[in-house]
Amino acid sequence: MMNRRDLIKLMGAGMVMATTSPLVTISHASEVEKKFKKHVGVPMSKVKDGSSLIKLKTPTIAETGANVPVAIDSKVPVEEVEWLMIFVDNNPVPRVIKVHLTPMNGKVYFATRIKMAKTSNVRAIIKKKDGTYLQAFKEVKVTIGGCG
Amino acid sequence: MAIGTAKIRVPRNIKKGKPFKLQFIIIHPMEPGTRKDKKTGKLIPAHHITKLDITFNGKKVTHMDVGGAVSANPYFAVMMKADEPGTIEISYEDNKGGKWKKSVKVNVS
Repeated sequence: MMNRRDLIKLMGAGMVMATTSPLVTISHASEVEKKFKKHVGVPMSKVKDGSSLIKLKTPTIAETGANVPVAIDSKVPVEEVEWLMIFVDNNPVPRVIKVHLTPMNGKVYFATRIKMAKTSNVRAIIKKKDGTYLQAFKEVKVTIGGCG
Repeated sequence: MAIGTAKIRVPRNIKKGKPFKLQFIIIHPMEPGTRKDKKTGKLIPAHHITKLDITFNGKKVTHMDVGGAVSANPYFAVMMKADEPGTIEISYEDNKGGKWKKSVKVNVS
């Protein structure tokens, strides 16, 4: 039977868990942000959420990280877009590809297949000609990595 | 097939000014330079496509900066539009100095 002492111990353990786990996520996030700034050129806070404008199509679970299909489809007019980028948070080189579009494309659309080292967020980032950035992201679970 | 050969697919009927899908596959190993040889334990040197340009009748359509994290024998698809019949040319190069190009004629109605 649980007495008062056990209860206090349990509460203590719970508090330790509650305080340590957010710290871990914060340090991971800041590492991603560092990579993001290095490869995209702006901090992540400057990039607006464009999930309503950008349609990012990826599998939820990829059996092999060597071949993950990614398709980006956007409602943003192509005349306003300078480039779009595929960015994978946990890859050794997160900047997968940068595509410079012109009005000759007629529509913002790009599809390819990428390699992923492990489970990670896949981001589609669009730089508009007025200097603003939009992004949409989706987590892809990878069972076998394809970069190492 | 040899390294650098490409296959391009375009729709048979292209309507003037209406965006159509241009798809192509390039035969290339796309070594990212981060993989280790399992027998020797040494890094396999990077060998991947770095730049890719799509032009239509000499006019620039799309430019890509390609990284090593694009899959081997990469597949790409973009939309583009054409107002007149002509030639789509895809030119690409890798980090070991390889340069290739491939073109396809399109009819526009």
